[in-house]
Amino acid sequence: MSDALETSGTFRPEVIEDIQIKASSGLYRIRGWGTLRERRWATFDDLTFLPCSLTRIPLEGYREKCSTKTLLGTRFAKKPIELDVPVMITGMSWGALSYNAKVALARGARTAGSSNTTGDGGMLMAERENSRTLIYEVLPSRYGINVHHMRMADAIELTIGQGAKPGTGGLLLGSKVSDVIARQRDLPIGVDQRSPARHPDFLGPDDMIIKVEELREATDWQVPIFIKMGASRVFDDVKLAAKAGADVIVVDGMEGGTGASPAILQEHTGIPTLAAVCEARAALEDIGLYGEVQLIIAGGIRDGVDAAKALALGADAIYIGTAALIALNCNRPLFIEDYRALGTEPHHCHHCHTGRCPVGITTQDPELMKRLEIDEGAERIANLLRAMTLEIQMLARACGKSDIHHLEPEDMAALSMEASAVCGIPLAGTRKVFGR
Amino acid sequence: MAEISCDGRTTRDINSEIRRAIAAGDREIVVKDPGARHNLAVAILDPARIRISGSAGYFCGGLIDGPRIEIDESAGWGLAESMMSGEVLVRGSVGNGAAAAMRGGTVVIHGDAAARLGVSMKGGTILVAGNCGYMAGFMGQKGRLVVCGNTGDAFADSLYETACFVGGSIEGLGIDAVIEEPSKDDVAWLDATLSQYLPGVSRRGRDFKKVVAGRKLWNFDKREWKVWQEAL
Repeated sequence: MSDALETSGTFRPEVIEDIQIKASSGLYRIRGWGTLRERRWATFDDLTFLPCSLTRIPLEGYREKCSTKTLLGTRFAKKPIELDVPVMITGMSWGALSYNAKVALARGARTAGSSNTTGDGGMLMAERENSRTLIYEVLPSRYGINVHHMRMADAIELTIGQGAKPGTGGLLLGSKVSDVIARQRDLPIGVDQRSPARHPDFLGPDDMIIKVEELREATDWQVPIFIKMGASRVFDDVKLAAKAGADVIVVDGMEGGTGASPAILQEHTGIPTLAAVCEARAALEDIGLYGEVQLIIAGGIRDGVDAAKALALGADAIYIGTAALIALNCNRPLFIEDYRALGTEPHHCHHCHTGRCPVGITTQDPELMKRLEIDEGAERIANLLRAMTLEIQMLARACGKSDIHHLEPEDMAALSMEASAVCGIPLAGTRKVFGR
Repeated sequence: MAEISCDGRTTRDINSEIRRAIAAGDREIVVKDPGARHNLAVAILDPARIRISGSAGYFCGGLIDGPRIEIDESAGWGLAESMMSGEVLVRGSVGNGAAAAMRGGTVVIHGDAAARLGVSMKGGTILVAGNCGYMAGFMGQKGRLVVCGNTGDAFADSLYETACFVGGSIEGLGIDAVIEEPSKDDVAWLDATLSQYLPGVSRRGRDFKKVVAGRKLWNFDKREWKVWQEAL
């Protein structure tokens, strides 16, 4: 290569562009989607399953029974959640998502025997009507908080943070704060809504113990209380959440998605989902509550393989968000001119924050929203949940398990030293766990 | 009238008995010996009158819709948080985050309120006869917040559409909070409301300052860089 075309390793083209955009705007960059950078940390791809051969006996891959029933909230709740599948739809707000998207997610989850979750903006009645199992989020902003809706829910999720931006509240730019969304959230139309990071009525883990009791009293101790956190100091945070009385703890890794966030938070805060599940399990084991407090893992889970590995590492269930939106046609090559109007292309779009979603998912524009047909979307969601569950079963049977929840770390080998160290699993080709 | 003693009983028992009494038709309930217990009278959804004959702990009257709750002494954090309608009256003082995220109804505090009074309030009315701590009104979205005495620092920070009224001094305004002259309607509303709920307060409507959002934080604007840099 001639000197004339050499590229700086420090000031790469995307860095130059970033500096020049900020020099123009005077503001940190905001976008949706989640982390975009190349993953150079240990991920689920750094693990492989060790199916049965002579040391263990496999189940017939396509036909022998392999249970997928998933029970959550057995610690204190009178009515734990029972799902047909271990893959659930995570909380995404009506506001970040369109009405059609929220209803399609609810209906699809119901069809597949799964659950869906409200979001930062309260419950949409159509969401309740189309859900089998609905999880009601209580977030720091308390937008749309309604005790009657809370009491209609099948579980309450007290959200401390999310994986895409732990330690920072949600963001909904003015283009999506339509009259309907503004009314739902008690906000002026068109404001750039920045949700608080802290809950308004408690601060630390000791106060949270009392808060959890309040939520139980408000729901007559009937439904499970989840505590959701962005993956940060997971080992300590999980223990504090368990001490606070959570039935279920949700840990959302740094690959988790968002409708809008400062880009630097998506790229440079939190720890990866693989590391998070390992720390979370270790924390529960450390206090003797592994198996008693259920664990849900979220953050960039793409398929049944990621999900099966998370289950094997200690999760009881999996949340998906971005993958569900992709099932609804996010980034599909439809309405390509509208992607280009946003300065992007299908498969590269992360412009959820603009409210101009070409496929009608992350928009409040009635015309764009029509592009997402609810029944068709619901079918795609149900299909994805079922396909992912079949993939999990396929791997579980190959490992000789008659229940997907019997998957365990010993069913896997690490493909990198980093994954070995993070997961405590021997590196393939050795008997060695690195770092131990 | 039903009398419910807290002595030797769990919070679950007490709240269940409150609900049973209301379901049985009692509309006057006295909760005795509360001992500053947390989570009393949470999520009561009927128009009963519940008197707490002592001090309550955290989240008393949280998530209610309809009742009138009277606390004879003081209350802890998160009083009446996220309430939708009804009245909560405290004869003493209250801890942090009183009336946080309230959506409707009226909260009356005869003593002082600690920090973060009315944080993220979405409607309704808060009346404090005494003083309040720092960051009162933070991110207030709708409704009215009235402090007859003095406020702490960072008052009314990052407001949306909550109207705040202060009878005494303001230690410091929060980011984007501005003082404006109360309208005639504001003064008339203050006089009528104070007469109804806090007749012992000597200040009249004309004595109050009004604090509202300067609206510089409502939308990102590089021309307001200094405001954004300091925003909480």
